[in-house]
Amino acid sequence: MSTVIECQNIVKRFGNLIANDNISLKVNNNTVHCILGENGAGKTTLMKIFFGILQPDSGEIFIKNKKVRFRSARDAIDLGIGMLFQHFQLIDNFTVIENVILGREITKGIVIDIEKTRKLLKFYIDKYNLGLELDKVINELSIAEQQKVEILKLLYRDSEIMIFDEPTAVLSPYEVSHFFEVINSLKSAGKTIILITHKLSDVERVADYVTVLRRGKKVYETDRDKLNIDEVAKQIVGNIAINQTEQIERLNYNEGEIAIEINKLTLVDKGIKFLSNLDLKLYFGEIYGICGVEGNGQKEFVDIIMGLRKPTSGTINIKADGISLVPDDRLKKGMIKEFSIGENVLLRMKSGVLLTRTKSQRVADKIVIDYDIKVGGSDVAMASLSGGNQQKVIVAREIFIDNKILIFHHPTRGVDIIATEYIHSKIIEQKKLGKAIILISSELEELLKLSDRLGVIYKGSIIKEFEEKTIKTKNNFLIEKIGKLMIGIDE
Amino acid sequence: MNRRFLINSISVFTSVVITLLITIILLIFIGKNPLEVLALMIGDTLFSGYGFGQMLFKATSLMIVATGLAICFQAAIFNIGAEGNLYFGTFISNVIAVSFRNLSPLILIPYSIIAGMVASMLVALIPPFIKVKKGVSEVITTIMLNFVLIYIVNYFVLNFFAVKATVRMEKVDDSLMFMKLFNLWDFLKGSSVNILFFLGIFIALLAYFFLFKTKLGYEIRAVGLNETASKYMGINVNLIIYLVFLISGALSSIAGLNFVMGYKGYFEIGFSSNIGFTAIAVSLLAKNNPLGIIFSSLLFGFLDYGGLAINSLVPKEVMFVVQGIVILSIIAVDKIVNRIFVT
Amino acid sequence: MNILESIISLAFLSQVIRLYTPYYLGASASNFTERSGVINIAIEGFMTFSAFSYVLFSIKSGSPVIGVFVTILLSLFLALLYALFTVALKVNHIVTGIGFNLFIAGLTKFFLVYFFQSSSNSPQAPSIPSISFLKFVPIIGPLISDPVILFSFILLPLSQFILYKTRFGLRLRTAGENPEAGDSLGIKIRAYKLYGVLISGVLSSLAGMWLASSQNSFSDGMVAGRGFIAIAAMIIGRWKPLNIFYACLMFATLESLEITLQIAGSGIPSQLVQILPYFITILVLLGFVGKTKPPAADGVPY
Repeated sequence: MSTVIECQNIVKRFGNLIANDNISLKVNNNTVHCILGENGAGKTTLMKIFFGILQPDSGEIFIKNKKVRFRSARDAIDLGIGMLFQHFQLIDNFTVIENVILGREITKGIVIDIEKTRKLLKFYIDKYNLGLELDKVINELSIAEQQKVEILKLLYRDSEIMIFDEPTAVLSPYEVSHFFEVINSLKSAGKTIILITHKLSDVERVADYVTVLRRGKKVYETDRDKLNIDEVAKQIVGNIAINQTEQIERLNYNEGEIAIEINKLTLVDKGIKFLSNLDLKLYFGEIYGICGVEGNGQKEFVDIIMGLRKPTSGTINIKADGISLVPDDRLKKGMIKEFSIGENVLLRMKSGVLLTRTKSQRVADKIVIDYDIKVGGSDVAMASLSGGNQQKVIVAREIFIDNKILIFHHPTRGVDIIATEYIHSKIIEQKKLGKAIILISSELEELLKLSDRLGVIYKGSIIKEFEEKTIKTKNNFLIEKIGKLMIGIDE
Repeated sequence: MNRRFLINSISVFTSVVITLLITIILLIFIGKNPLEVLALMIGDTLFSGYGFGQMLFKATSLMIVATGLAICFQAAIFNIGAEGNLYFGTFISNVIAVSFRNLSPLILIPYSIIAGMVASMLVALIPPFIKVKKGVSEVITTIMLNFVLIYIVNYFVLNFFAVKATVRMEKVDDSLMFMKLFNLWDFLKGSSVNILFFLGIFIALLAYFFLFKTKLGYEIRAVGLNETASKYMGINVNLIIYLVFLISGALSSIAGLNFVMGYKGYFEIGFSSNIGFTAIAVSLLAKNNPLGIIFSSLLFGFLDYGGLAINSLVPKEVMFVVQGIVILSIIAVDKIVNRIFVT
Repeated sequence: MNILESIISLAFLSQVIRLYTPYYLGASASNFTERSGVINIAIEGFMTFSAFSYVLFSIKSGSPVIGVFVTILLSLFLALLYALFTVALKVNHIVTGIGFNLFIAGLTKFFLVYFFQSSSNSPQAPSIPSISFLKFVPIIGPLISDPVILFSFILLPLSQFILYKTRFGLRLRTAGENPEAGDSLGIKIRAYKLYGVLISGVLSSLAGMWLASSQNSFSDGMVAGRGFIAIAAMIIGRWKPLNIFYACLMFATLESLEITLQIAGSGIPSQLVQILPYFITILVLLGFVGKTKPPAADGVPY
């Protein structure tokens, strides 16, 4: 068994965060090697280093036992490494052919040699059973088909080592099967596959080797023969430490008034079904967690409730005057970064005609103290705050306007631990005041900590709900069950 | 705030200097003595009562139109249609003024002014409607509308309202004319600057207060800075789009009165001589800040009259070139300065 | 001749083609830049610039050919300047276009007075020479012997070929659709934006030159909004060469109808008929079925 790609003592930091903490691992030629871990474990960072997009702070990489240094992805590509990202780099309005050949066109003079190109691509499509039509435009294709286009791109560029980042995250169970068939045929053709995933089911299907990362460190390694799934699962999760300094009193929400009632909410746009008969009842005095992989309708759900988009069918009954929202993308949706803290808050409020410096300063002072935001001179522009502080201001603002219903969409994404704690405590505080809260997240730990009830969203509907009692248990069995539900496996 | 002001000042100063340098080179190129030209220009404009008055007169219309445009630009709405609005609104005002001569000036003045504003605001609703409903950029629709409005007005003037053998309408009653400022200050003798100038300053100050001290003004600027976030923060973006067009339509119409009730007393075809486009440059030079517009409009007024003053030495059209250079240099310099100082 | 006879005549067709030529050249100019992601509303200014430049240099040198060459050169330089603002400095495209239009308007007004001592018209200028042997082609001879008119027809298949069949065209379109993806595949996005702008400079200069050549002079305001109608034609043609071709023919036909009706003394006032192209543009944009869909990264500084 020869080593085709190896890393030794890789360290990579982002500010205070140690993404890769002294990682060494070997990948053998012509094998499928799975790299497992939760969100934030450091898998993608390590693979970006393998692909040359990121440079490690220290440590070395070896290709076929020869030390290499990548200055950019170009160098990695030249050595036969290809990477398929979670977010595809495809051009929506171009055809499959155009996307695949872009940047590496086969030409006859200035003209693209269409004959030769088609022949070559057809060869790959047939050999690996990709089932693609070359002249279809990308935005006509399903996600699974788009992924195949990305694979075709790698084949066209003669990749021998293929890195896949969370490839099954966006596929249905049927598509996942087909995907693994392709993986197997790639392996038969001599390729080496590295699969980044957080799903045990992937491992079971195809892994020859398994490496588990947790919080930046390599914590476990095994191979197909010695594979023990339960052990792997334990290693991924470690110990879920939930610090609860106080017993969170849960209101008997069955008697609480209903805040939002949603019936058979459906959204179809350009042939894509974003929401499919979604039902949900939200009560005052509870935190309803919505758990799911990104891209299962959460964004559309939020947009419709906030009145920014019209559903195709279904009803929504909202028993409140306004809804507060902490959106998932603070830069794009959450704030006007050129404006100050106070200005962002006052802008959001319904009342008031004037917006003066003094007013703004007063509001900013209150929030900076309340939320423990460390700034130099309080009413500063939002752009000068750290990500965590920006998020705190947005949370503060949405709470400040005192709406009866609040939605938190990935409220602690990209936010440090201390700010996360703060935001969590504020969410709980609002619940105690009797507000109705929806918490949308893909961080299971966060959802289990805060939710009174939990709904799993998959392909545009809530496929299962969990009640308070179950959530309280917080055991690994529950976690695995939810994890499977998030990818549509309902046992 | 202070830092921003400093950066903007550097931009404006640098671009004015660059413009000056290029102008001097141009003058030398066409064989004129730059010092002589500059001296004549400054002498006849700043140090002559009549010239100074004319400078203020030309600045007045620019100031008012540019203020309306600034409000649009702050919302990232590229309204190129001020010229058409100005033309149409002023025409309507004049029609009312000469059609109801029997009314007392106390009624007729506001009546004609408001009629013009309303007419202008009504046509100003077309581009935002197309933008909101069809997603077509306002740049093309406002440009097209300019042509349409100007031709329609010209048709009506030539065929129904024109005084025989001229291209102008009847003169309004003297009682409607705005008071010229040389009645207050003798040294401005002969110049056309009138009380509308003070109204212009007032409008600019009001607009500044509106944009920077009121919630609605903040909303307008928020839409210009980040339309998506504005939507999520509950701002009615479509309403804002309509609003800024209405405001600039209304203001453009008032600006034209500077010529009709402030100067000649009648509407004449072609009277506006592209103020609607020059005002764009005026606003951009002032970084779309109404306070700055007071100064940039004075600068352009200076260049405008200055062109006439030096006509004996250099063709007055050279000032159009200078105005063009000003605008190109401010947009380039602004980018470069921002890149250096805001890393 | 009654009105109907006037319309179904060679003279009418010839008029349509002569009106179509600057529109299609201008619309194609605009299309090439927008496909590369750069908006250019200064097509009007570019046309004005090249019209004046052609008249100036062909008169001063006595040769229309020199006028053509110098104009193309200068227009390339102007386009380079435009690219400097929009691609290198990444100034907002629309603001830059407005600035260039104002600047060029001032420039041409000034030099008109400076060189020709008139604020409205230049003296007579020679026409662009025709391709003599083509004159003898039956029926369409007089039209296609005009090299610019001939080119404006060749431009259709040429545009389609360049955009859809060559590597250059694929990469150009990438710059306008998804510059990030193109960048990740090693394509020099900014270079392609530059090429798009340069092409638009050349094409709009042909349009302006031809206008001046066919009127044998330059007059202030002669472009009369054609640059903007060309942009509207591009939008209506949904950024595709063939549809743009149809849109330009439509505008030209309507305008030709207007002129014919006027000459035939139909009694419709000239102003109301003059607004036809602009009015039609607004109507078409208003009644547009579905939203317009430009290249995905159009106007985004990259």
